Amino acid sequence: MAQTRSSQEKDIYRPEPATLAKVQPVTEMESFFELRLDSGKELGHMPGQFVEVSVAGIGEAPFGVSSSPTRQGSFHLLLRRVGNVSSALHRLKAGDKVGIRGPFGKPFPVDDAMKGQDILFISGGIGLVPVRSVIQYVFDHRRDYGAVTILFGTKSPADRLFVDETDEWKRQPDTVYLESVDRADASWKGNVGVITTLMPKITIDPVRTVAVICGPPIMYKFVLMELNKMGVPSERSYVSLERHMKCGVGKCGHCQINGLYACQDGPVFRYSDLIPVREAFR
Amino acid sequence: MGVVTVDLKMLNVWVEGLIRGGRVFGVQAKNNRFQFAPLLMAANLRLDYDVTVIPPKKYMQPAREDLLTFEGAAGFETCLDQEPFILIGVHPYDVAAIAQMDAVFSGDNVDVHYMTRRKQATVVACDVQAASANVFAGCMGTATVDKGFDILLTRVGDHYVVDSRTHKGEVILGNLVKAPKADAVSLARREQVWEDNRKYLRKHELRMAPETLPTLLEASCDHPVWEEKSQRCFSCGSCNMVCPTCYCFDVRDDVRWDLKGGARVRDWDGCMLRDFATVAGGHNFRKNRADRYRHRYYRKGKYMPAKIGHISCVGCGRCISACVTKIANPVEVYNRLLEVR
Amino acid sequence: MSNPRVAIFDFACCEGCQLQVVNLEEDILSLIALVDPVEWREAMSDHSDSYDIAIIEGSITRPEDVDRLKTIRERAKILIALGACATMGGINKLKNNFDLKEVRQAVYGAAAGMAHLNTEPTRALDEIVKVDFKVHGCPIDNRELGAIIRCLIMGKTPVIPTYPVCVECKKNEVVCRYEFNEICLGPVTRAGCGARCPSRGFWCFGCRGYAEEPNVAAASDVMDHYGKTVEDLKSRLTLFVGQQEFPP
Repeated sequence: MAQTRSSQEKDIYRPEPATLAKVQPVTEMESFFELRLDSGKELGHMPGQFVEVSVAGIGEAPFGVSSSPTRQGSFHLLLRRVGNVSSALHRLKAGDKVGIRGPFGKPFPVDDAMKGQDILFISGGIGLVPVRSVIQYVFDHRRDYGAVTILFGTKSPADRLFVDETDEWKRQPDTVYLESVDRADASWKGNVGVITTLMPKITIDPVRTVAVICGPPIMYKFVLMELNKMGVPSERSYVSLERHMKCGVGKCGHCQINGLYACQDGPVFRYSDLIPVREAFR
Repeated sequence: MGVVTVDLKMLNVWVEGLIRGGRVFGVQAKNNRFQFAPLLMAANLRLDYDVTVIPPKKYMQPAREDLLTFEGAAGFETCLDQEPFILIGVHPYDVAAIAQMDAVFSGDNVDVHYMTRRKQATVVACDVQAASANVFAGCMGTATVDKGFDILLTRVGDHYVVDSRTHKGEVILGNLVKAPKADAVSLARREQVWEDNRKYLRKHELRMAPETLPTLLEASCDHPVWEEKSQRCFSCGSCNMVCPTCYCFDVRDDVRWDLKGGARVRDWDGCMLRDFATVAGGHNFRKNRADRYRHRYYRKGKYMPAKIGHISCVGCGRCISACVTKIANPVEVYNRLLEVR
Repeated sequence: MSNPRVAIFDFACCEGCQLQVVNLEEDILSLIALVDPVEWREAMSDHSDSYDIAIIEGSITRPEDVDRLKTIRERAKILIALGACATMGGINKLKNNFDLKEVRQAVYGAAAGMAHLNTEPTRALDEIVKVDFKVHGCPIDNRELGAIIRCLIMGKTPVIPTYPVCVECKKNEVVCRYEFNEICLGPVTRAGCGARCPSRGFWCFGCRGYAEEPNVAAASDVMDHYGKTVEDLKSRLTLFVGQQEFPP
């Protein structure tokens, strides 16, 4: 019957060992993780791709990689504690072992459609996690891109992510960084309102701009409507969609969006390709 | 490779020999229905069956299987089932389904768990002798098959034509190699069986060529049939579970009592089940029954053809029988799409 | 880290679910390697008011039960409802279909008026206090209980099926009871038992309660097809799920 053996043939479901180099709480619900593959190899991802993270005995779940491949030696995740795996990861500490499969999926087109263009980043909540990978990539190849505009919205000031880093982003040349919170507290002096309230405050050249969008399901509809009003063609907007990408390799069926597999055809999609796809924005 | 004829007695002796030689699964009676099960004696084999409750996919992708094992944080080890086995009595529509699953699991990223079992399988197909209540393989081009099996058995009168097509088939033929070569009369009678099966395995009549389904579905997203039929859907996944071309799965970790070691287990899952598209945090991306119901028919008739080049329905009719509320008849659904809304 | 302290209590029930815990046999040693039982009337003589996990069998049928349940809830960090009586009222809830005076009379006869035989409409635990986890079934499946406890200790939310029993019938290649023209509650009942009854030739009694979003209306619609009536269906639903609420 079933026999265990170390695999000669590649097993697409078998994670490779990795070690947590750093675990740092960021908000009440979110922590930052730095990981290294035990093989010593780079993850080899592109911005927008995801990995499947295993905690033996707990399970496996997909998470977008939050660092750019230009920053070598390790890779970053930032996880909200919502499922079994993300909760278990929050209980781990530096030095603990996890399993990694991937990277999987289509990245943002940083080396083709985005090159030479102005870039508008729009992210809500932990939607900033995969977008940070793209932002870092763009800043690390700053001369390959035009003007950069970054919009980031969260529920409250306490939910803001990568606070130190976003301060650096503000200081980058030819870059605008704006943030908003749905509910302010006493200390908050900035914009209050959903992320679309930031959009009238920016000036972009709609036919020179590529939009990179990631956020909760509810955000897309309104942001895309606003972009349409601003004259950004749907062919120039890219979204990263959340689904249950259980296997990551196009088999298990859970992440299907009509005929598309989020794990293989996505999670990054060009908006114009999604217009006929009914299940895309739900 | 030879085509021979054997009488029932010889066939029995041959099957007894196979049983003595290794793992054999054959079609047998279960209550008032049939199933593939470990074959302990040739007399239990029921090649006259109509359809099995569950297709033979269960031997390539079991309802539950260990993908990996783990011990503490030491890492994961692959589990592979490498024992050879013989399946006896696989109907042509199921042979066609296995070929589709092979395409799914060997395409893009090779699934070594499925493929290891598949490589260990010797498939002895058998032409249909009794039509089940809901079979429509005749409409799907799967009433007969020309490839995808190692040996094909066809009953003609009081004997069988045994047609070995592969090396694996030759290996298990054994003494049957010496059986008399099939004569022109037997071969002609086999042709007649095939012609009859193509003609009569049509308990439901699909009023279109299957190849036209993707185009038809393209324009049918808003057809009222999805809402209408799904009102009576239990979201019980029976249609998924019994389908020879449904292969969606769930994966979870089971730990032993010591909480250190255990297995990563793969289970059958189904797109009709309520939480199939639910993500951590609770958002369900396909929460309406009608959307799940439509998804299944789109997957069979449009999404899978785009992926593997075949309509993912082989006309076995199992879903029609398994559905308690009788809403799962693909022929009825697809025919409805032809009607004016 | 010391093992969590576990107390097992019972209210109105047959204690059959606790018996299933005892029936873990050698696995019970594995279980008590993970938890420290501090009170369990059916299996030990100790008593304690200090525990982390309370496992409660039985439904609530008397005013004094309500107070006791609330006290347990206050003391326990995690409260687990064990079995159908605790999770949804169970068989005991049948009594809610009748006038309580008549019920007492029928059960206790001449003694019906005695004060300690006081009774109230039956309630499940979560109709009174917050329940953290439910171990469904009449009786429970002790392997499922084992898996749930292992999950809790590992800090993992156990995955309890939201889908109907049919899934497990099919996985086990059980011939559908409807093929025998029997009404089976499998299509509306929560899976997780491994299709225990249909595998042995019985219709599903619904002892694990409704699946999520059960389509009971669909079941009514097809009774004709099987030569049955909606009344037949209702009589079967009465046993366990008749009093259970579900979204229409």
